[in-house]
Amino acid sequence: MDLNQFLENFTAAVDFEEAVEMELGTELATLQEWDSLAALGVIVMADLEYGVSLTGQDLKGCATIGDIAAIIERKQG
Amino acid sequence: MSIGKIEGVALRGLVSVVPARKVDNLEVPAELVPARDRLVRNVGIRFRRLCRKGTTFADLSETAARRLLDGMGWDSVDVLIVVTQTPDYPIPGNAVQLQDRLGLPRSTVAFDINLGCSGYPFGVFTAAGMLKGSGFRRALVVVGDQSASDGAADEGREILFSDAATATALELDDAAAPLFFEGYTDGSGYRAIYVPHGGRRHPLNDKSTLPRECEDGIVRKDTDVWLDGPAILNFSTREAPLAIQRVLGETGIDEASVDRYFLHQANRMINETIRKKLRIDPERMPMTLYDFGNTSSASIPLTMTVDSAARLREGKVRSLLCGFGIGLSWGTMVIDTDRIFAPDLIEV
Repeated sequence: MDLNQFLENFTAAVDFEEAVEMELGTELATLQEWDSLAALGVIVMADLEYGVSLTGQDLKGCATIGDIAAIIERKQG
Repeated sequence: MSIGKIEGVALRGLVSVVPARKVDNLEVPAELVPARDRLVRNVGIRFRRLCRKGTTFADLSETAARRLLDGMGWDSVDVLIVVTQTPDYPIPGNAVQLQDRLGLPRSTVAFDINLGCSGYPFGVFTAAGMLKGSGFRRALVVVGDQSASDGAADEGREILFSDAATATALELDDAAAPLFFEGYTDGSGYRAIYVPHGGRRHPLNDKSTLPRECEDGIVRKDTDVWLDGPAILNFSTREAPLAIQRVLGETGIDEASVDRYFLHQANRMINETIRKKLRIDPERMPMTLYDFGNTSSASIPLTMTVDSAARLREGKVRSLLCGFGIGLSWGTMVIDTDRIFAPDLIEV
């Protein structure tokens, strides 16, 4: 997985109101827009960009942005 | 058999009614506008319609059904089916009330079907099946809900739902093209969309109407419609494209011969994902979410009216309908129409 591309996809999926500096290690809890809407956006992004189905439970288990990338990579097999 | 086929029944008319009362989802205090704007942009719903106080779905239904009966020149039908989850009373259903309010004869077979977002294809197929080979000639299918909320703590649900009623006329016609229907059910997902309290399993109690924060951080009451967003999103975007491809594949209907794909209007994320997976251009898969929100089972016929009333009036149209949601259940139909009675949207 191209991680820079993933960060771009993640940023678009969450639809931040203002530009936010972030990297893979950024804690999701520190992002103001990390809410139920953002979770839906990320699920759609994982499906359309990576062909992976993420559940609400998958996302609940993620602490950082990198954790989401790791789950997607694992599910891609 | 997985796909039902009915020959000799024609869809003759369609009327859609919404309340004139309009709510703008962006009308919030200034400091909340940026967050609300983000929500509206992603969910795709700007305006919603709400019944005025004292008006119910049954009242909208009567307006829709009267207009349809007048337009058809019918003073009776053999079958009257109402598909709704928001009847005037827990019992009896709305169809019996409507038989009387419309002045239909007592010989009318009238009953309700309890389905939401998936309900339109189910209702049309049930009515068509009753006409075929039974001696009955005419059926009226009234579909919709009064599910708009006004002041819900769950903001995601608050901005979603909108009220509407629709009426569809079916009639025996040897020359009618066959209609195809596939209905799927997965009751293991019943908690993705449900109202926990108020039925026999969990009757109302003192705490039913107390808001509380749920595991997913959303504040709900046990008398609210509970929506599990990720589960609904995953289900819809997985199953709807598969169902549409399956129905086209098994019936051998050429994809290019479908004039319009009318999908349940759930939210923009769901509908756009389904559309992208199927690679269908937006014009052939119209979306009415921005102006009318999610109108539950009415969203398919409402979108037919808003997007295509003139087209349905003036010529032959092959429509593929796909409703999905509560149950979980999903139904897909291919139906051909030829110059039907389809007035423009009615606001009351």
